[in-house]
Amino acid sequence: MLLTRRTLMQTALTLGAMHAFPGLTWAQARPLVFATFTGSWEEAHKAVLVPAFRKATGNADMVLDPMLSVDQIAKVNAAKTNPPIDVMLHDPGPALQAIAQDLVEPYPVEKSAYYKDLIPEAQVPMGPSPFFQVVGITYNPETVKTPPTSWADLWKPEFKGRVGITNLNSTLGTGFMVELAKMHGGSESNIDPAFKALEALRPSLAAVAANPGQLATLFQQGQIDISPGNFNAIQILKARGVPVEFVIPKEGAIAFKTTIHIVKNSPNKELAFKLIEAALSPEVQAQLMEEPFLIVPTNTKVAIKGELAKTLAKDHAEIAKKFVFQDWAKINEQRSAWIERFNREIRV
Amino acid sequence: MAATLRNVTTYDLKLAAPLAAGFVVFFVTPLVILLALSFQTDPQGGRFGLTQYVNFLGDSFSLGVLGSTLWLGVKVTALTLLLGYPVAWLHQRSPGWAKGLIMLLVLLPLLTSVVVRTFAWVVILGRQGIVNASLLGLGLIDTPLKLLYTESGVVMALAQVQMPLMVLPLITALSRIDPNLADASSVLGAGHWRTFRKVILPLSLPGIIAGCLLTYAAAITAFITQSLIGGGQMLFMPMYIYQQASTLQNWPFAAAISVIFLVAVLVVVSVFNVLGRLSRGYTNA
Repeated sequence: MLLTRRTLMQTALTLGAMHAFPGLTWAQARPLVFATFTGSWEEAHKAVLVPAFRKATGNADMVLDPMLSVDQIAKVNAAKTNPPIDVMLHDPGPALQAIAQDLVEPYPVEKSAYYKDLIPEAQVPMGPSPFFQVVGITYNPETVKTPPTSWADLWKPEFKGRVGITNLNSTLGTGFMVELAKMHGGSESNIDPAFKALEALRPSLAAVAANPGQLATLFQQGQIDISPGNFNAIQILKARGVPVEFVIPKEGAIAFKTTIHIVKNSPNKELAFKLIEAALSPEVQAQLMEEPFLIVPTNTKVAIKGELAKTLAKDHAEIAKKFVFQDWAKINEQRSAWIERFNREIRV
Repeated sequence: MAATLRNVTTYDLKLAAPLAAGFVVFFVTPLVILLALSFQTDPQGGRFGLTQYVNFLGDSFSLGVLGSTLWLGVKVTALTLLLGYPVAWLHQRSPGWAKGLIMLLVLLPLLTSVVVRTFAWVVILGRQGIVNASLLGLGLIDTPLKLLYTESGVVMALAQVQMPLMVLPLITALSRIDPNLADASSVLGAGHWRTFRKVILPLSLPGIIAGCLLTYAAAITAFITQSLIGGGQMLFMPMYIYQQASTLQNWPFAAAISVIFLVAVLVVVSVFNVLGRLSRGYTNA
């Protein structure tokens, strides 16, 4: 090659440009982008899942991009052919939306070493479930002397003006409504009884939180003493010294499968698969089960121990007995109508 | 030589081109896309029509949300004006060092994020918050008052959060008024109140209108404060749009609500502008 002034200049400029805009070089090989949830999930994944993934792949480049499920869907939808995310994490409602909008790949089940070890509820061909969230009753043990045992306890007269719920924007709020409907003879397709029950609860409500995170603030402020709540969210509060306890009501805890998906058209499919495998592996799940994360494992090879065994379930058989999984395909059909109705009817 | 002399009274429009291009790319284009989206009849795409607008405008609930949002803005603006005017007045009448202090106190909240200021209000208004604790301590009430998650709570918090937007234009307007005018007025026999009503207030009208405009626009679009203090049961337009766009992924309806909200705000802004023009005539008279 002839070294002319022009080629030299060109090389220098290109190198300079690549240095100034590292994004240019990512066009060919950008790091794996994993959209996790914000808060405790992000912390847990940063501490356990990311190191495990780095070890399994010989230190492959990856980025955690924490955001809500619905925002993940919006982002991928906006650039379907060149998605900015490789691995998505979804609650059951958004997961079905993502699948319906053709945003995710089927999981290569036959290649997976761990898929067959997952509990049956976690085996989802479009994206397996590395953990699930458990919703029960949370209460302040300083003001609520006898621990509640049933969802029906929220209606007790002594809790007048002390009960908190979230609106239906969240999975938590919607799941609770479905459970209410079931308690009063309804179902995923018949929500009327839930709205009737909520009408009766209205004098008791101290607040309708705009999101589950706000429930935590409400407990801290002493604004509410009892509410439906997420097991993992309570652990953070407890660790901060807020008096709050979690019980599984006798009707069973509501469990939300959280599924993990390979995004369609991702340029990093192989790495995405490896990340998900790491998330399903017994090693990672066993580590996430411990303090301070206390995440329920879905891999049956992990023996449930410690705090989880004490408050939730001692093994996977008990999980199947105590946890209620809801039919989100049915829920999604009518969710917008419910939200609309909640907007209109539940004004405190 | 004379032919090549530049006419200094006309500006070279090319200088504005970068800004214009920025506006077109980042403001006009998204707005056009929003408008186009709002005419889609179905979230899955497909045909165009007025369905979304009919759904909103034909629904008393949706109109109620719009109405309560606009009304919320009026209440917040009135409260900020009521509380902000004395502050600006005090600033005008104070000696130099106090002026600096007042200015610092007005500007200080602007240096903290809205989220932090809003959370402070959650602490203040809560059941065990400062207000309830002192009232209980003084024996004035037996059970804590419900202050958080009420509309008056939202109005109070918004008024504090948006206060600088009202006070700063007022200070500017008041400092432009010639102090001799007030003296002249009292020499001619007017009392303090009359001087204020007949001289100071009309002359500060441009500041009042600018302040009201800024506060109003900021108050009705304040998503964070509205949802944190108002809670999940109080629905205002920003939350309504968020709910439709994010939770329900119903982008066409969300776009239509946004356009309607935008038009409603523009109407209010033009009313303010008309008032501003009238006030200019009034002050020059």
